[in-house]
This record gives sequence, structure tokens and C-alpha cells, in this order.
Amino acid sequence: MGLVARRIEEAGIPTVTINLIWEFQRALGMPRVAALEHPFGRPYGEVDDRNTQSAVLRAALELFVSAQQPGQVEHLDFVWHEEPKRTRWHPPEPAPIIRYMKEQGKI
Amino acid sequence: MRDHQVDAFRFSGRLVKKIILAAIDAIEPPTNIPWAVPTKPLAESRVALLTTAGVSMHDDVPFDMEGERKDPVWGDPIWRKVRSDATSNAIDVNHLHIDTSYIKSDINVALPLQPLADLAAAGIVGSAAPNHYSIMGFQGEDSSTLENVSGPEIVRSMRDEEVDLAILAPV
Repeated sequence: MGLVARRIEEAGIPTVTINLIWEFQRALGMPRVAALEHPFGRPYGEVDDRNTQSAVLRAALELFVSAQQPGQVEHLDFVWHEEPKRTRWHPPEPAPIIRYMKEQGKI
Repeated sequence: MRDHQVDAFRFSGRLVKKIILAAIDAIEPPTNIPWAVPTKPLAESRVALLTTAGVSMHDDVPFDMEGERKDPVWGDPIWRKVRSDATSNAIDVNHLHIDTSYIKSDINVALPLQPLADLAAAGIVGSAAPNHYSIMGFQGEDSSTLENVSGPEIVRSMRDEEVDLAILAPV
């Protein structure tokens, strides 16, 4: 994914990447990162919460104007409405790679 | 906003955090970061969106989940277009690392087509691109096809549709 953003930017189209795991995006060398604490699977906000979805999109758009240097990470101050313990984002069954790594004794 | 620092692992749990930190350690620091400067004001810019959620239109070939189940270190490297007027009723969502039910209920949680259309109607952005994009975030051990085949194809499509700005959101 980071690689695709870099390809698009290299082609002359500016990108903003919205992400929770901003440390990973930064390590990959993303041009502009909008970091926010929304859970996996719902980066723009909760189901049918059009106000938050729109606000996240607008915050990302503003980064095209405000970012002055490659690799800039902007920390957005959106607050998710549930505590992490109550936030469901996991798939119904463990991802194949998790099962595989357990079988290999890697985790 | 300036004082706030996002906790990248707030929702991840210990296991996923451990895997991601190991992945970060394994990344060679990039020698350069690409940088393109916007050429138009937002109000004149055409915007495209990209998600890594494995979204495909019903009339397109879905992302291959059986392949990943058979080979856990492989992720489907294809890309798919999602039309700007797509609704949750018109899409498939295939991703084995998240709960996809939220996106199936409301595509805008990962690909905010309606909010973007609203911003275009309000004149805050120039227009929404006619098509948006999905890839599969999980690529396993080899992301070269995504990087060297799908990436350039997505770029070509964006250029054909005169996209000025792209917003990407990994899930």
C-alpha cells in the first residue's frame, strides 16, 4: 500500500495517506500521512456517521495545502466513540498468516 | 491538534503490535521520499480515493480469498475500480484481516464516496473522479506485483481520468 502511494506521488499526483499505524507509514517513506486513532476497517468513522467521515476527509484534504515537506505526519485529534476493549474490528476467523505464524512457532 | 500524538497501537492488541513492530524493524529506511506539489487550488482539483479493503463491484472479479487461505504468505495483488456512485449494495468486500461487515453496511467508512460527492457539490473540491480504487492491503512475502504492475496501472488510470489529488486509506 505504501508502495502504491509512492508510485502515485512519483507520477506527479500528490497523495495523503490516512492511517492509524502511522509509524509503519513513516518507515515506508510516505509523502504525507494523516494519523488518526480510528480502528482497523473504519478509517473514516463509524457506519452512517456522515459528519465524522466528512470531517476526516476534509482534514486529509487540508494536508495537501499545509504539508511543506516530504514525510510530514499530521496527528488528527479525532476521538473514537468506544474504548479499545469494546471496539470490534477482528475478522470472524484468525487471518491465515496468524494461523501460519503460530504453526511455525513464530508468534 | 498540535499537542495530540496518535497512539498507533491503540486498537491493535499485543500480538498485532508485535508483528507490526517487527515489520517496521525489517524495513530499510527509504533513501528518498517522493514529493509532488499540488498544481491547483482544492476547489479546482479532481480527487480520487483508494482503499486497501479488497472492495470490488458486483460485476467485477472479486479479490481472491481462497488463494490466501491456501497460501497464507500470499495476498492478491490485483486492483479494482469502484465507481463514484457505488453504494454498499453494489460491492463485494473481501479481506481476511478485518471485520468487513462495517464496510458492507456503509462503504463510506473506508471509501467516502458520498462525503466526497458532497464536498464537490459544495465547491470545496473541484470534482470527484469518476472511478476510485481498491487493492488488497495484505501482500504477504512478495509485494512486487502490486508495486510494479498494479501501481503503474492505477497511475495510468488516474492520469486518464485527470486526477489531481489522491487520498489513500489503509484499513
